[in-house]
Amino acid sequence: MPNSVILLDIKSKGVAAEVQLPLSELELALGHKVELGPALRAYLLAHVRPQSLEGQPWTVQVKDLHIKPAEQTATGPYNEVTATLWMEPVNGTAVRNFSLHYDAIIAEVSSHKALVSVRQDWERGKYGEHTSEVGVIKLDVKSGTIEPLIVSQEQGSLWKGFQSMVSLGMQHIAEGTDHLLFLLVLLLPAPLLVRQQRWDGYGGTKYSLRRLLQIVTAFTIGHSITLLAGALGWLRLPSQPVEVLIAVSILVSAVHALRPIFPGREALVAAGFGLIHGLAFASTLANLQLDATRMGLSILGFNVGIELMQLIVILFVMPWLIWLSRIPAYKYVRVAGAVLAGIAATVWITERI
Amino acid sequence: MRTIYFSLLAIIPAMLILSCSKKDATTTSTTTDTTTTTDTTTSTATSDCSSAANTTAKVVCLAEAFEATLTSTQLSSLITTYSSTYAIKWSNLPCGSSCRNGLQYSSLSSTQLAAAKAIVVAASGTAANEGYDEITQIIAADDVLNTTSGSSSYGSGIYFIAFVGTPSTTGTWQLQFGGHHLAVNITFSGGAVTGATPRFEGIEPKSWTSSGTTYAPLAQEQAAMLAMLSSLSTSELASAKLTAKFSDVLLGPNEDGQFPSTKSGIAVSSLTSAQQALVLAAMKPWVNDADSATAAALLTIYSNELSSTYIAYSGNATLDTNADYVRIDGPSVWIEFVCQTGVVYPSQIHYHSVYRDHTRDYGNSFTF
Repeated sequence: MPNSVILLDIKSKGVAAEVQLPLSELELALGHKVELGPALRAYLLAHVRPQSLEGQPWTVQVKDLHIKPAEQTATGPYNEVTATLWMEPVNGTAVRNFSLHYDAIIAEVSSHKALVSVRQDWERGKYGEHTSEVGVIKLDVKSGTIEPLIVSQEQGSLWKGFQSMVSLGMQHIAEGTDHLLFLLVLLLPAPLLVRQQRWDGYGGTKYSLRRLLQIVTAFTIGHSITLLAGALGWLRLPSQPVEVLIAVSILVSAVHALRPIFPGREALVAAGFGLIHGLAFASTLANLQLDATRMGLSILGFNVGIELMQLIVILFVMPWLIWLSRIPAYKYVRVAGAVLAGIAATVWITERI
Repeated sequence: MRTIYFSLLAIIPAMLILSCSKKDATTTSTTTDTTTTTDTTTSTATSDCSSAANTTAKVVCLAEAFEATLTSTQLSSLITTYSSTYAIKWSNLPCGSSCRNGLQYSSLSSTQLAAAKAIVVAASGTAANEGYDEITQIIAADDVLNTTSGSSSYGSGIYFIAFVGTPSTTGTWQLQFGGHHLAVNITFSGGAVTGATPRFEGIEPKSWTSSGTTYAPLAQEQAAMLAMLSSLSTSELASAKLTAKFSDVLLGPNEDGQFPSTKSGIAVSSLTSAQQALVLAAMKPWVNDADSATAAALLTIYSNELSSTYIAYSGNATLDTNADYVRIDGPSVWIEFVCQTGVVYPSQIHYHSVYRDHTRDYGNSFTF
């Protein structure tokens, strides 16, 4: 039988809890069909009672209730009620050390268990990618009691949160093949001159460097703007069209690497598509639902991480580009790179539509 | 930093050599070898150890014969040190080797497999639908689940044999055998069986037909418990009913020694001798899974302790719906049987049960 799962997001003023209750077990506990209404809210409030370690009850609010399909190891597919709760200590006492008195379903169904994990703890560098188990709430069969679970999380810091955002930003670029590919393909013809609407020979070191820096800076400005706007919630686009447009951006720069379609305006194009890539970066942060200070630090840290990684890539690629583009055979490198990137972009476009 | 650097190096050539963008992690699938559903005892290649004086001597003789067929690597997987860590590592879930000790059936050659099976046969009861016959059917049901669900986490090849401690007729050791819906733990000490528990038995589907034969290995368990509950009057049923509900057994894997300090339900001492006989009869389908000498000895103990034994149920006394649950709790015996909504057959119920002994689990070698 599936277990209940409680995911804790440790925030600055309180703890958000996502409580997942398998529908069949909840109905067994209640003895009737479940309706997502006031009765269920009252049931949850009666059975989720966090306290300070000194015994001072926290306030609890049921923010949201819905039903969704789920599956655990060896349970087969089933439906579960997902309740989003906000739990807050009354007089600003510690949010990382509390006693979770919890017996939803377990009070009625003795064989039921609730697995409790911390999902997000920004100040300790946990932003929700991996949960860490705190413990299991279940009936102590020997005594017939349900003991509260002591949640005791180490102290974190703004600095630690910031650092983890820098590495998240770096990781995002290192693993997000599409962002890098866009930039690299755009850089591919940058050292070249244009003659009769075709790519021609090497334009010189100074020319190449200037063009490379223009493109990279423009891309950075573009994605920084939308990263900020998106993370702060000023601008919100559904992720699917953003992902499609990112793939389109690669296709466009791949075509440009074959034949100059926007010669001299690479920086402008980089900035424009940068706006789109920034929206994808922003969705990572917007989902964290942080307060202003932590969101600000996250945007800064994440962007620093992105730029650092981008810089490493550029420093690695630039000498090769400048060196290779001097030789006639560079044509084949450029064409092969553009064709392969074009194929990848086409595949991504069809996958993401 | 180092890993980031490496992934970066991997991205540059990705410009030229482009594979798929986002690949799912490949899952390793377990190969299932499909053995026949009915298997009679050992092959001729295995010494039959028929001259052994008793169950322990025969099991040890066959265990040594099995060891002789194994490589040193296999031996080191088969035998662990005798400790509670390994003793309690068993499960009813289809979690394969992650929750079990020992050698997986599908990794054994036919000679090795025959030798392994001979050990389990010698340690088990011989009645129809009990003991080894029941084991083969529970294993066969996993092939049915494999076929129906298409999931490689089910199958008759995913059963494990392990020795916790080195088999001997003088020392203490434990035979572990099990897989999905089955956990057999038999402790031998000083040449005798000192523990036939904990033992988990479950079945899904609870009944199926293959080649014209119908299999229902836990039907006797359900029928005996049902007969016991059906003998109770309305007021007796009311006393026996628990307010708590159960969608699974309480004392499954990793719940060792967690017997309730207070017994619940109705005292068997308050029942008529005919009803008491039905309580004892309800224990038999579990106790008789052990070899006949051990089963007889345990039944005598449980019979003598009937007056201090309690029975309880939850849900319906008809034992045919999700969360219908029944328990026998004595000074020694502990049996739980529960009906659960099916996992692969969600329109049917399936059974879980656990048989424990308050003092004889793991031969009383460990305190929990």
